[in-house]
Formats: sequence, C-alpha cells, structure tokens
Amino acid sequence: MKLSKKVVLLGHFGVGKTSLFRRFMDNEFSEEYKVTLGVQIKKKVIQLPDGRELSMVVWDIEGHSDSVKDTRKSYLLGSHAFIYVYDLTREETYLHLNKDIAHLTENYTKVPIKVLGNKLDLVNEKEIKNHLTEQNIPYDCLTSAKTNKNVQDFFSDLAKELIE
Amino acid sequence: MEEQDKLKILKELLLTEEKEFADSIAQKVEELTKIVHQKKELSYKVDPIIDDKLEEFVEEIPKTLGPTITEALKEEIKNSQDAVVEALFPIIGKMIKKYIAQEMRLLSENISRSTKKAFSFKRWFRNTKARASGVTEGDIAINDYAKPRLIQMFVIEKNSGILISDFSPLSDDTIDKDMVAGMLTAIKGFVEDAFKGGDQNLELIEYELYTIHIQNFYSYYVAAVISGAYTIMFKEVLEDQILDFAKNHISKKELENNTLFTKKLKTHFTDEIV
Repeated sequence: MKLSKKVVLLGHFGVGKTSLFRRFMDNEFSEEYKVTLGVQIKKKVIQLPDGRELSMVVWDIEGHSDSVKDTRKSYLLGSHAFIYVYDLTREETYLHLNKDIAHLTENYTKVPIKVLGNKLDLVNEKEIKNHLTEQNIPYDCLTSAKTNKNVQDFFSDLAKELIE
Repeated sequence: MEEQDKLKILKELLLTEEKEFADSIAQKVEELTKIVHQKKELSYKVDPIIDDKLEEFVEEIPKTLGPTITEALKEEIKNSQDAVVEALFPIIGKMIKKYIAQEMRLLSENISRSTKKAFSFKRWFRNTKARASGVTEGDIAINDYAKPRLIQMFVIEKNSGILISDFSPLSDDTIDKDMVAGMLTAIKGFVEDAFKGGDQNLELIEYELYTIHIQNFYSYYVAAVISGAYTIMFKEVLEDQILDFAKNHISKKELENNTLFTKKLKTHFTDEIV
C-alpha cells in the first residue's frame, strides 16, 4: 500500500527553501536566485530501512516577508510536517522565529515542525551554533543546500519520523 | 524773389516730410511687385523640377530607405517581443477563431457531401436523425467525433492534496500524478482563498481542449479530466456517476487502501461516459 505524506517548506524570502527543495529532489543547486511564485510541488519516494516506501510530497511555497501568518492558509492545510527554514547569515530571517513557531503550533496542533538553519557553507559552524544558543534561536539541523551538507540525512530522518 | 520761387520754398518747407513718406511707399510697392513677379517666374521654372524630384523620391524610398526601415523594425520586434506578442495576440486570436469557424463550415459541408455518396446503416440512421432534428448530417458527424471522453480521473485528499487513487482509461503513466494532484489542490485552494467565496468550491478548470471537472466531497474531491465537448448533459451524467460511485463505493476503508480503491474506479468508469 502506498504511503504519502505532505511536507511544507516555510520561511522568509531568500532563505534557500527552493535550493533545499531542488537539492533534495534532484540533487541540483544553482547560484541564481529566482523568487518562488505561489507554490511548486514534487514527490520523492524514500526507501525506508524496514523495506517500506514513503512518498514524500514536498510543497515549496513562496517565502513570507514578516511573519508566517502571511502564508496562504490553504497551502498549509493537511500537512504532515512543516520545515521552517531560516538563513544563518541574515538575522532578520530568524528574528520572529519563536513567534512563528508558536503561531504554527497553535493553529496546526498535530503537525510536527522542524527548524532548519541554511547556508551553513557561508558561516563558521561552531560560531553560529554559539550565537544561536545565546540568542535562544532553536534549530533541528544546520544545512547547506549548496554543498549538500546534512540535506539528505535531514530528509531521511524526517521520513522515518513521519512513518512512526 | 518772384512769387513762384517763394511758393516753391514754402512747398519745400511744408511738404518735404510727406513727400519723403510718399516716395518710400512707392519704393516699397515697387519692391513688392518685383518679388511677386519674380516668385511667379521662379515657381513657373522650379515647380516641375520639384515635382520630378518628389516623384523620383517616392519611387526610390522603398529601394533606399526600405532595407533600413525593415532592419530597424526587425530589431525593434526582437527587442520587445513580449510587447509585440501582447499587441498581436487578440488580433491573431480573432483571425484564428474566424479561420476555424470557416474550416468547420467547410468540413461539415465536405462530410455532408461525402456521406451522401455512400450508403450504410449508420449513415441512414444519421440521415434520419438529421432530418428529424433539422441539423445537417455533417454537423452530427462532427458531434460524434467531438464526443466527450474521460482521459483521467483523480481522487484527491481535500486539504493535503495527496492522491488517494487515480484511473486512466486511455493513457499510460507518463505524468507525475502526485504532482498534478498537489498542484490541482494548490490552485483550488488559491482560487477559493483569493475570491473569499466562503464555502464555495472551484468546480471547473478549462485548458484548451481539456476540461477538468471537479466534484467536492467532505474529505476528498474527484477531478475528472475530459477531452471533447463538455456539455451540460455530459456534466450532469458525469456528476451522477461520481455521486453514485461515492455513495456505493467510497468508504473509510477505500480511502485508506488505494489499491482497492483504484480497482473499484476502473470497474465503475469507462472512457465514454455519455
């Protein structure tokens, strides 16, 4: 039997949601920045260690400018997981992170939220981790869509969690 | 001094200014007369030359300036293709529409002519139908060809856009159905959100020769891709069939087991619904 899960990428403009999406789906990366208009959707079948298969349908939606509240509600409905992405080099992209997470938790009670700090290739990992801890900014994983660091592992772990 | 001399001196004293003024006017009149006369003469001589030159110029323009203008236009079109296409689109659209209408008329006439020549029971039936309905035999034949056909059917989870099941009586698995299901849901959600229609749902999408019929249920919706003429009669039959299928075949068990669901879809629907 086919098992499908909807995962939505959220976050400010230009944090690298589409780059993560392309890296995960097609193992591609481009330096060229193109704003996502509306939404793009792709599916990837993930083979799980126990032999089962999971169709992960990822929705890469257009970034918001201020708060996640600006995101179109219809894109978020029926999600099985949210991935909130921020840019490690731009503080303004995680300035309202805690408020955004609170909003999502309140309105989509059963949907797990994963927080990703992207563009790890542009910062010093140790320094940024210290900075995030000091600022009380949460993260589940720090990734680089450009170098593919931690991207595939992150999605594999998410797939396992979604099946459990 | 004699009387005459005295009078002369007096005249000079009193009328010198007026005389000078009269002289200057006379001179100006003379100058103007000359100009008018010369212009007439000049025009008489020059006009034919100018006419010849103008004629020559008009004849030479396409040869001399033509390539330059064409080149400039080409360059302009190349640089602003979008603007040109934008401007031409409605005109071309109208032309195509007219052309298609004309071609359809010709096709109908051709079919009527050729069907008249051949005899078959089908033709006899069509002929009788044409006589009874007052429609030409050709139009009936065209209608037969434009019959609506079910190309693909999707059953999609309403909020998540996840594909529950799908069925295609004609095509193979060439499209990413999960992506289509997701995008359809996104479009549907966008339209329903954007126009704030309350509980209203998007029910139809037209795409060139295709129509996507959307029928909403509580937790899922059915999207049927139709080619051909999507008529009111067809819509009603399709709606009834989907309602009938939902009533008799869709339960929680089917929604959770997509293999079973797809089997039932295949049994219930055929490509020619009407």
